[in-house]
Amino acid sequence: MMSIRRTATVLRAFWQLNWLEELQYRGNFIASLLGTVFWLLMAILTAALYFQHTSTLGGWAFWDVVVLLGIFNALAGVVETMLRPGIGHLPADVRSGALDLVLVRPVDAQFYVSFRRLDVWRLADVVLGLALAWYAFVQTGRAISAWELIIFVVTFAVAIAVIYAIWVALMSLAFWFVAVENLAALFDALFEAARYPVSAYPGALRFLFVYLIPIAWTTTIPASALTGRLRPALAFWALAVGIAALGASRLLWRVALERYTSAGG
Amino acid sequence: MIRAGARGAVAVFRDQYAELMRSAFLIDLQYRASIAIWLIWGITEPIISLGIWWTIAAAGAVGGYSREAFAQYFFGVALVNQATLSWDAWNIDRWIREGEMNYRLTRPIAPIHEAIADNIAYKGPTATIILTAWIVASVFWPAVRIPFEPGRWALAIVAIVLAAAIRFLNGYATGLLAFWTTRATALVELQFGISLFLSGRIAPLSLLPPRVAHVAGYLWFPYVLSFPVQVLTGTVTTTAQYVRGFAGQLIWLAIWLMLYLLVWTRGRRHYGAVGG
Repeated sequence: MMSIRRTATVLRAFWQLNWLEELQYRGNFIASLLGTVFWLLMAILTAALYFQHTSTLGGWAFWDVVVLLGIFNALAGVVETMLRPGIGHLPADVRSGALDLVLVRPVDAQFYVSFRRLDVWRLADVVLGLALAWYAFVQTGRAISAWELIIFVVTFAVAIAVIYAIWVALMSLAFWFVAVENLAALFDALFEAARYPVSAYPGALRFLFVYLIPIAWTTTIPASALTGRLRPALAFWALAVGIAALGASRLLWRVALERYTSAGG
Repeated sequence: MIRAGARGAVAVFRDQYAELMRSAFLIDLQYRASIAIWLIWGITEPIISLGIWWTIAAAGAVGGYSREAFAQYFFGVALVNQATLSWDAWNIDRWIREGEMNYRLTRPIAPIHEAIADNIAYKGPTATIILTAWIVASVFWPAVRIPFEPGRWALAIVAIVLAAAIRFLNGYATGLLAFWTTRATALVELQFGISLFLSGRIAPLSLLPPRVAHVAGYLWFPYVLSFPVQVLTGTVTTTAQYVRGFAGQLIWLAIWLMLYLLVWTRGRRHYGAVGG
């Protein structure tokens, strides 16, 4: 417990420095904002093209799918803000031996590696994504109860936990395959599948994205909560999955770290 | 070579190319696990598009495309995309930012030849892997079988090579804008976003709103993906369509070649003036 509190203090100091550093690159903020708006537009146009030729996609109407796209973008924003600059840097640290410098510190190594850096400008992606999800939700004409909103918040947090666990799993591969430098591209490829509700995929693909690599659920479940598709029992299951994912990431980290012999070892 | 005549110069050039390609291939071989990941990354987008269209076409053909036609189209997209990928803008960006352009400028051969050799060494083997996967898939899955017509396949190969050349020059010339701006790669990404629709990346062009498809015909986008895919899968049928497609490819190849030469000559001079 003591170590967690100390880690939190260290991280706070890091984030403050990080923030001051990022303030110098305000031009990047504008560029990344324009980029996000552009890609959001492309995603909405793609969905609009599909809906030129169909009225529902796996039982989802156009605005339901846009709610999901907004959530997809918000989760992608979490990845860009925290995971890619943090745990995403692990393979490079393993290769160069820079992980030594983390392990000798009196902080929780997994915690430190995961949350050491915040690309704060990319938080705009989270805000934009949630704003789009909200706008699309209003277009669906549904009302939302406080209970449903709570379920949405919980399932969104679960989605972040699952995505984090997938990052830990993929990046830990670096302990076995030191030379592979683009493990993050594997996540990008898998995450693409989360752009659409799982019910939109045909049998074989659904098996792949939904059961083999449970990535598709990360957007479908919170979007289902907002569009009134989620049975309450499933929300509790999601919570259990989230906790299990965090536990598994911890376990995997321990096992993977056993393999670490530093550079040249 | 003291007296390198015209033939001698060609031979030297050929040897240089062979050497560049050999070293590029050997480097790629070192990174084969990374390349496997890039392959997976490259085929996800067509697989997802196919999945969605497959679901939409459950009730019957969409705009003339049956489920099988979609399957063939997107397998074609995966193959042609692999053969025409363009990543050089990111390399150029790094060359200029980290000073690696300097020693490349002192070589007796322009850096674009290194890039071309690198492209051939990478795309040859990786496109063959996708093609092999397609052939294996067609044994088990009749939907992705395309009719056996060697003549048309030969035309498809020509179309794919032309497409690869256009997209390469397009990416390379845009990348060279890095001589002036630090955001040249953003321009490549912008074009990529537009190509989702205008190249037929997420849907065959005939499924786009007619006006959009019409505008696309005046740009290079359809000629770098949609046209070769349609030649390959047999949806280009009339002579007029062939002529129009190949003429479009040749015109855009010429335009991007000229743009490359323009940007390269101007950019080099500008670079010398700044870093001088």
